[in-house]
Amino acid sequence: MNNNHSTFRKIYLYVCVLQEQAKTMERKDSLSLLCVLVCVWTQATYTQGSTQVPEDFTPEPIVLPHFTSCRSREQETFRCWWSTGSLANLSEPGALAVFFHQNNLMPIGWQECPDYTATVENECYFNKSFTHIWTSYCVQLRATSQNITYDEYCFTVENIVHPDPPVGLNWTLLNVSRSGINFDILVRWAPPPSADVQTGWMSLKYEVHYRVRNASHWDKLELESGSQQSIYGLQTDKEYEVRIRCKMSAFDNFGDFSESVFVQVAPIPTKVSVFPMALLLVFGVVGMLFLLVLIIFSQQQRLMVILLPPVPAPKIKGIDPELLKKGKMDQLNSLLSSQHMYNHDTYREDPWVEFIQLDLDDACEKNENSDTQRLLGLTRPGLKGDDDSGRASCYDPDFLPDTEGLLAAHSEMEERHPLVSESSPSTPSPELAETPFFPVQSQPVSQSWINMDFYAQVSDVTPAGAVVLSPGQQNDTPSKNPVDKTKKEEEEAGKEEEHEKKMKLQLLVVDPDRGYSHEVIARQVESSGAPFCSAPEIAYHTLPPEPAEEPHGWHGEYLAPDGEAQMAYFLPEAPPASMLPPVSDYTVVQEVDDQRSLLLNPSARQSPACPPNPIKHLPSMPAVPVGYLTPELLENLSP
Amino acid sequence: MSRNRTQAMLFVALLCLDLHARVGSAPICPHGHTGCHILSLADLFDRVIQHSARMHGLSSDLHSEFEQYFLPSKNHISRVYRKCHTSNILTPNGKENAQKLAREELTEVIMKLLMAWRDPLSQLHQSMAHQQDFNSFSSNKALEMSDMVHELRKGVEKVTEKMQLLGMISNSVSGLSSPEALLPASESGEALSDYELLYCFRRDSDKVQNYLKILKCRIVPEHGC
Repeated sequence: MNNNHSTFRKIYLYVCVLQEQAKTMERKDSLSLLCVLVCVWTQATYTQGSTQVPEDFTPEPIVLPHFTSCRSREQETFRCWWSTGSLANLSEPGALAVFFHQNNLMPIGWQECPDYTATVENECYFNKSFTHIWTSYCVQLRATSQNITYDEYCFTVENIVHPDPPVGLNWTLLNVSRSGINFDILVRWAPPPSADVQTGWMSLKYEVHYRVRNASHWDKLELESGSQQSIYGLQTDKEYEVRIRCKMSAFDNFGDFSESVFVQVAPIPTKVSVFPMALLLVFGVVGMLFLLVLIIFSQQQRLMVILLPPVPAPKIKGIDPELLKKGKMDQLNSLLSSQHMYNHDTYREDPWVEFIQLDLDDACEKNENSDTQRLLGLTRPGLKGDDDSGRASCYDPDFLPDTEGLLAAHSEMEERHPLVSESSPSTPSPELAETPFFPVQSQPVSQSWINMDFYAQVSDVTPAGAVVLSPGQQNDTPSKNPVDKTKKEEEEAGKEEEHEKKMKLQLLVVDPDRGYSHEVIARQVESSGAPFCSAPEIAYHTLPPEPAEEPHGWHGEYLAPDGEAQMAYFLPEAPPASMLPPVSDYTVVQEVDDQRSLLLNPSARQSPACPPNPIKHLPSMPAVPVGYLTPELLENLSP
Repeated sequence: MSRNRTQAMLFVALLCLDLHARVGSAPICPHGHTGCHILSLADLFDRVIQHSARMHGLSSDLHSEFEQYFLPSKNHISRVYRKCHTSNILTPNGKENAQKLAREELTEVIMKLLMAWRDPLSQLHQSMAHQQDFNSFSSNKALEMSDMVHELRKGVEKVTEKMQLLGMISNSVSGLSSPEALLPASESGEALSDYELLYCFRRDSDKVQNYLKILKCRIVPEHGC
């Protein structure tokens, strides 16, 4: 400030002097003015350079010369660097000097820097002779021309050791993970050549850094005393950068970093490991599906039964309406013959009256009142069973001699029969439009009266409801049926041939939906075109009537007798007695089951027409224990 | 070779005699039993050097703790420097000086240093334990440091004896039972403060470590030098 004032004063004085001079001297005005200006300018500059920058004029802070750092690389020599600061004149070389002082046993005093490095600016190098470890140094930065100390720095050499970076940094691949995503490497290096680790003078510790390339964060590993270290968990799809630095053990000063080394491992295609797994999975699933489908298809029936149990329906024992429908007489015959209850031998031996004794009573009592009379009593007064209670209805030996074939067949009959009807086909009664036929046993032998006379084949049913019975049929085809006399017979005769086979098999109608259906049987049998025999209540006692049921699944044509729709049983017409085979139309009742139904014996011989017994012509079948035809058996029958 | 035989006999005899003096954790094979191996000189050196490195680390930690809590300006304090009580001991100040020094002298220097710090460190530990400023870790470190000096000294004694046994150094090493128990005193006669003690000890522990390493690499250079 004082200088400034003095400067301004000087300038003012100069100006004043010049002005006065200018007044006196005219020519030298410009020159003097110039001189004044130059003098002022130089004064000002000089003022500025010689003193410190006044703070109110320069807003920038003043930076004094100072030491930037002192470092030792190998604990044998060290260097010190300083900066000149913001003072201009001190930036000249030689303006500053470094003095150092060692605090050892021999205090010499301050010495100047032994070696100012020529190549590097502002560096002082202390060689080995001037470097003493475990000795405290102090260095000072002084101005050469003036006795001003700008900076001082004290240290001990071992505390300023910053080792050089390690050399020879390289990496080797340790392994790659099975998934091919990660890998491990082993990093190796060598200690810096300047550090004397051979003699044990310096013991170094190394620190490895790594990062994903161009990332901002470095990962550090633990300090390592040796010369190698592993890095685990690197990823194959990234490139890594690795660098290393070291420091003296038990000291804190790290040296500079080495050059970075780049690590990258190509990812191994891992399809091989994934592919078999996927394949295995696909195969496993396909195999399981295949097994499942196989099981389902093989056990379809059982599954159906389990999942959708069939509704049990009443079954006719041994009679399959399907068979009857389809006209498979052979199968029906075999089926019937296979069942033991329909065995001829059995039935032949045992008097069937034993089996049906109960039924006989009931039947006789039943028939006695209603239809029996119609069947038996109208034309033959003698046959009217009024006299004999039940006897006439069930059995009338008077009839037997009248029939042609029946007498012979029924000669062996000992007891009365539930169904005895006698009529001569050639002598139709006026009242009865149809002549009742005697049922003819299907047995070829048919010697027993039992065989013969139990059945009276109903040949026709009058519109009034009367049943015309016919004697036993012949073996001939029903085409020779002399039933043409009756209107039904005429109608059906034409259809006999058509429905012959149908009739044969229709004897056994097993409706899978409803089991046995008597109406179906009856109507199917009826439609065969055979001589129409309708004596529902008389001819068949095996099955409970189902008057209300309509057959379904029955495609055959059938002729329902007028007003007989409610009748449960319809029998095909029996051919004339002459044509009737002696035994083929009838089936002997084998036995009576619990429900008082007659178990009929399947006859071996075929009945061409009007088999009264729907079970007559069942084909041979495997033995059925109970006598029912089950769907499994039906399968065997079907072609 | 009768001389070798006598030397071997002497060696064995000395080993047997040494049993009483040995207190370290080194496995000792009395009477030369088979199945246990006698520690070689290199192994002894390694143990001692590890011990000294540990000691130096402890001293560095304590010193830096002191600087953090009490003395923010490093430059400032180094000006107020006082001499260590061990400054009287002539120690080589550089690598060349240390290498130039004879083995016996180097060993002697090490022993002197270790001897000189036995008492001051126990004092340091006591003073640190009494003060409230230090946490338990610091006082434990000081205690460990004093114990380490003790152990290290004994270890170096063993090594010296072994070296003398093996004829590597002469028997002129003195100072094993030196009565020099210099109490730390500065020039002004005042006791050194804790910080100054730590500063001095840190320096001296580094010296010991380096001297031991140089000695080892000079005597048994084949292992890790």
